[in-house]
Amino acid sequence: MAPRNRDDNFMDVDSDSDISLLGDVERRGKGKGKGKAADKRKKDKGKAKAKEQAYTWEASYTRSWDTVQEDEAGSLQGAVEDLMARGRRRRLLAPAAAIRRTIIRHLVLLLDLSAAMMDRDMRPTRFDLMLQYAREFVVEWFDQNPLGQIGVVGMRAGIGERIGEMSGNPQDVLKCLSDRTRLEPTGEPSLQNAIEMARSSMSHLPTHSSREILIIFGSLTTCDPGNIHDTLDACVKNKIRISVVALAAEMKISRDLCDKTGGQFGVAMNEGHFKDILFELVPPPAQRAVARAGGPGANPAADLMMMGFPTRLPDSSPPSLCACHSDMKTEGFLCPRCMAKVCDVPTDCDICGLMIVSSPHLARSYHHLFPVKPYETVTSMEGESETTPACHACARIFSTSASTAAASEGISLWGRYRCPDCHNDFCTECDVFVHDVIHCCPGCGK
Amino acid sequence: MEKASHLSVIIDLSPTQWHLSAQTSNQYPLSIETFLSQLLAFLNAHIASKHENSLVIFGALPGKSVLLYSSTELLSDDVPSLDANSYLPFKLVDSAVVQRIMNEFDAIGELEEEPPCALVGAVTKALCYINRITHPSSTTAGVAEDPSIVHDPRILILSVSPDLSSSYIPIMNAIFSAQKLALTIDVCKVYGPDTVFLQQAAHLTNGSYIYLERRDALLQYLIMSFLSPTSIRKILAVPKQDKIDFRAACFCHKNIVDIGFVCSVCLSSTHYLLLSCDLAVFCQPLPVCSTCRLATLVP
Repeated sequence: MAPRNRDDNFMDVDSDSDISLLGDVERRGKGKGKGKAADKRKKDKGKAKAKEQAYTWEASYTRSWDTVQEDEAGSLQGAVEDLMARGRRRRLLAPAAAIRRTIIRHLVLLLDLSAAMMDRDMRPTRFDLMLQYAREFVVEWFDQNPLGQIGVVGMRAGIGERIGEMSGNPQDVLKCLSDRTRLEPTGEPSLQNAIEMARSSMSHLPTHSSREILIIFGSLTTCDPGNIHDTLDACVKNKIRISVVALAAEMKISRDLCDKTGGQFGVAMNEGHFKDILFELVPPPAQRAVARAGGPGANPAADLMMMGFPTRLPDSSPPSLCACHSDMKTEGFLCPRCMAKVCDVPTDCDICGLMIVSSPHLARSYHHLFPVKPYETVTSMEGESETTPACHACARIFSTSASTAAASEGISLWGRYRCPDCHNDFCTECDVFVHDVIHCCPGCGK
Repeated sequence: MEKASHLSVIIDLSPTQWHLSAQTSNQYPLSIETFLSQLLAFLNAHIASKHENSLVIFGALPGKSVLLYSSTELLSDDVPSLDANSYLPFKLVDSAVVQRIMNEFDAIGELEEEPPCALVGAVTKALCYINRITHPSSTTAGVAEDPSIVHDPRILILSVSPDLSSSYIPIMNAIFSAQKLALTIDVCKVYGPDTVFLQQAAHLTNGSYIYLERRDALLQYLIMSFLSPTSIRKILAVPKQDKIDFRAACFCHKNIVDIGFVCSVCLSSTHYLLLSCDLAVFCQPLPVCSTCRLATLVP
């Protein structure tokens, strides 16, 4: 990590000359804010990227290929294996304690569409970068939170603007983020108006789902019609979690929004760091006992939720009106309780209010509940009476001699990894594939 | 047909189900011998339709799954004796598959109770195999346009066993990985009742699920529906199932339910705690969630 102290902060102010539009006061505020954010990050363990370089313009040009070392034979095998070993170790270090996490999530993505977003300190502009990352974020978010829903609200010209309705379909959300010209930034942002709009769109949601607002904020001002602290109190009351990713600098109000509602606050220092702090918000947040207990017991009781698993109508069925949009359609899903036809799942039935999910949706949320145990590294072939010649999963033939690469933790010289339950051997690729993608051991079938 | 296609066949080899299937009280009895001879004709058709086509066959036996045949590597050294009347690639497949199935059946022996078929193991092995051949590592091949890289992998499951509700989550996980690998899972239900899980598997991966009505016409079903690679299926209008059940299995009575009670804590909970428990879908309100042992509030 780059050494950073008070003196650096002054230097930052001086070196901040590429933003000439901002006033002197604002500029000093900006330098301070960033310095503070960096100081804070020094204490808590941030992403490695954030530690290595502080500001884009300070960092020396790092050549990524310099870190990769060839071995004597000029092969990169050893370096590649070392990288894989690091990945394995990170996986093994995953938290073992039970955390309660929300799976049914509702998120409103609040995009700053004010004139400050046209700033070019992030290439090509803050606005373009934000749109690009927001699209990647949505894809990744739906991959990890298949039962969740995302709505999009923009803030420009002093008002909140609904860009996309709350939807569980990633294509809908991506469509409303795809049109760059419709989202052209202009005017001043208004945090209060936009948060109020997001809050009202989430007010009807059931208690077992999480309500979150994610603000990507590039401006240093907000022009509000009333007292924003009232809005903040209302959000706390409604258990809405607000997270802010600031592109310019830390503002007191955005820090307060996050701290009081239990969200995360981050100031993006460069393009890579922007992506890092945005994607930290993808995995479901751990529920806070204080915020969620709601009663005297420390261990809140479970609600049993009634859920319906629908039947999908074929494309060839006779067309009929759907209950949600009153459109004439052939395909659709039948609510199992009232037999109303809805267009898409997951949703709440418009007629009887039953929550309709397709069971694959539910099952997809479960794969991380039943993780595959990490495979043991086979470090020695001695004492093995009978060894299988090939990988149990993909039938690749194991090499019979140990690899010449330097031994490091978590790497088997024979390329064998053994399941602790079924004692079958797997090759490196299958090991990674089983743990990262399938989540099911081919030997045990569990 | 421009590119080579890969086919992974998974044969459900449950002795009990095949015995039931062969009984003459069925409308169309189908014994495993007839089944295999028709299947081998289909496999030969796949090999013959393009020289580069690759084929892997897995068998799901009670309690274990085995690789029966792989076109990329020879599993046994004994090459069958050449015969002037047979085409060698066909002969290789036929003899290898029949021989290994017979060996496995012989190895089963007399058991008091037959363990359920390891269909999940076979499917996950097929996925690992496809992952290996579609993403060759630096050790096997470095060339981008290697002809051995297949572009259009498919899995065909020939199922005779009924749904096993304990394999619900692994099957679902396998389906999601199949979606990530962009491969198609086809299901041919040869005997027994419809399986909800395999229906969902075919639907979610854009494959077709076909329930065999006339089981004496197995070969025709196979060739008409499952021989064409996915790129051609758009033109051919391959039959798909029309109605799909999106029902889940409840874990208190192993019923398949359409309205269930889902524990909000298990659903909204814990990453690493619940290692041994089941999916918390119940068919009736329970006072205590059997999965997370928390008192529940009956709605």
